Amino acid sequence: MIVVDGLTKTYGAKKAVDNLSFTVSPGRVTGFLGPNGSGKSTTMRCMLGLDVADAGSVTFDGKRYSELDQPLTHVGSLLDAGDAHKGRTARNHLRWIAMTHGFPDSRVDEVLHHVGMTDVANTKVGKFSLGMRQRLGLAVALLGNPQVVILDEPANGLDPEGIRWTRDVMRNLANSGRSVLVSSHQLVELSMVADDLVVIGQGKLISAGPISQFMTQHAKSWVRVVSPQIEELSGLVTARGGTVHRNGEGSDFHGISAIHIGEIAAANNIVLHELSPQTGSLEEAFLEATDSAVEFRGESSGSQNGGEK
Amino acid sequence: MLRTFKSELLKITTTRAIKVLVGFAVLLPIVVYVLTLVFAFDSGVMDSSASVNIASSAPLVALLLGVVGVMCATQEYSQGTIRITLVATPNRQRVYIAKLLTTVAVAALSTAVLVGVSLLATSIVLNIRSVQFSLIGEDARVVLSFFVLTTLVSVFGLSLGLMFKSGPGAISAVLLWPTIAEGMVFGLLSAASGNNFFRWAPIQNGFQLVSEFRMEDNNSWTVSLLFFCGFIAIFVALGHVLFSRRDA
Repeated sequence: MIVVDGLTKTYGAKKAVDNLSFTVSPGRVTGFLGPNGSGKSTTMRCMLGLDVADAGSVTFDGKRYSELDQPLTHVGSLLDAGDAHKGRTARNHLRWIAMTHGFPDSRVDEVLHHVGMTDVANTKVGKFSLGMRQRLGLAVALLGNPQVVILDEPANGLDPEGIRWTRDVMRNLANSGRSVLVSSHQLVELSMVADDLVVIGQGKLISAGPISQFMTQHAKSWVRVVSPQIEELSGLVTARGGTVHRNGEGSDFHGISAIHIGEIAAANNIVLHELSPQTGSLEEAFLEATDSAVEFRGESSGSQNGGEK
Repeated sequence: MLRTFKSELLKITTTRAIKVLVGFAVLLPIVVYVLTLVFAFDSGVMDSSASVNIASSAPLVALLLGVVGVMCATQEYSQGTIRITLVATPNRQRVYIAKLLTTVAVAALSTAVLVGVSLLATSIVLNIRSVQFSLIGEDARVVLSFFVLTTLVSVFGLSLGLMFKSGPGAISAVLLWPTIAEGMVFGLLSAASGNNFFRWAPIQNGFQLVSEFRMEDNNSWTVSLLFFCGFIAIFVALGHVLFSRRDA
């Protein structure tokens, strides 16, 4: 289990991480989300002792990272796929890391096989695509067969097969009782694998807990209705405080549950062809939750054009 | 500690730029020395003892190995491997000591090969010319000085590398300090005061260790050694403090 407690990190006058606290539980994949510059990578570096935190603590099963004996056997991490000497082969890159813990060369070959890189084990890292470097980075993270895995954007640059493979790796790690913390901007992918979410903005915690709780709090929900008597039903629902928006062949009912709409329809002999509760995507929920915490916001081409008119 | 040291050694032996530079630092002086030995033996340039002749290349070798020291540190930052190094070994003091030991080992081994091959060539060539060859007491001092100079300048390079984090900056410093900066600063001080301030030029004291000529107002060999070691020790300490406290 990872426990982050009151973590604070300042660069000059800027607080990159501000009194951040959350936990990552064993057996679960925890997504770590935040807009660009929100402090995700800084948090991860502080967790691993690479950056020195100004205040707070991070413990792995009760111990700080620097106190761990043979740390790679406790915590595996992938912070940046580019963290490898371009002139070294994949195998030698893993060998020097393995040597710090006394792992045999056979373990290096094992993880290379696991990430599908046996055929390119003796190829120099400089010749790898970003996707191959991500796989090598994952091999580094898995080298010590750790109980905790921290991954920063592990699916960056991967092809669809690689993305699915990464998802499966994370799921399997969690299923075997490991704690997995993963940051990603690929929210569709994350929604398919994450059990919990930690969302931060401008270094502060916005939300932490099960993904379902986050969706309930931040994602829009409505009911889609298709009926030949939609005008009559709309009037009845509006009278009870709901709002209705026409959407193609059907209508979206907001502010009222599907159960209530069904009861109203039944009581008034209204025929329904479709009555389905709808929920917004994780992306929409994320954008809604972090709207006030976005530090770098681009101007859309539409608004640019509008400005020129 | 041993594992970290072996890991650092593996990093060096799997990096082509460092291997090329070490090879250059060892082979170039050997080739020049052997050619001089074969073709210019009677010209008077080889009148000094064998070790002094071999050690004439010491400043060049030391500076090249200083650059190797720099690269041992800065390549980690330029390639991003420093993060993995410190994640694998969070104890930064251990990493620093391992890097120091590795740099010293590479410099010492390179110097040993250079001196050994050069002495062997001397023995063979002089035998062919039927000239008596033997090592004298002075040779031991010169050879020891050669080792001290190359290992400490490479440690100086490593420390600068860890302080600068940037290869070009640290390499410039390790090359320009002894060749230009010391000459300018201590030359100006000497000219202004009328005293020989050159005797306190730190790296020049290191170079003086292998020299057979010593001016009257120069430091003695022992004073030069202590002064040079003290100067390097300051940079080792600075490198350690910055490496331990800074974000990776």
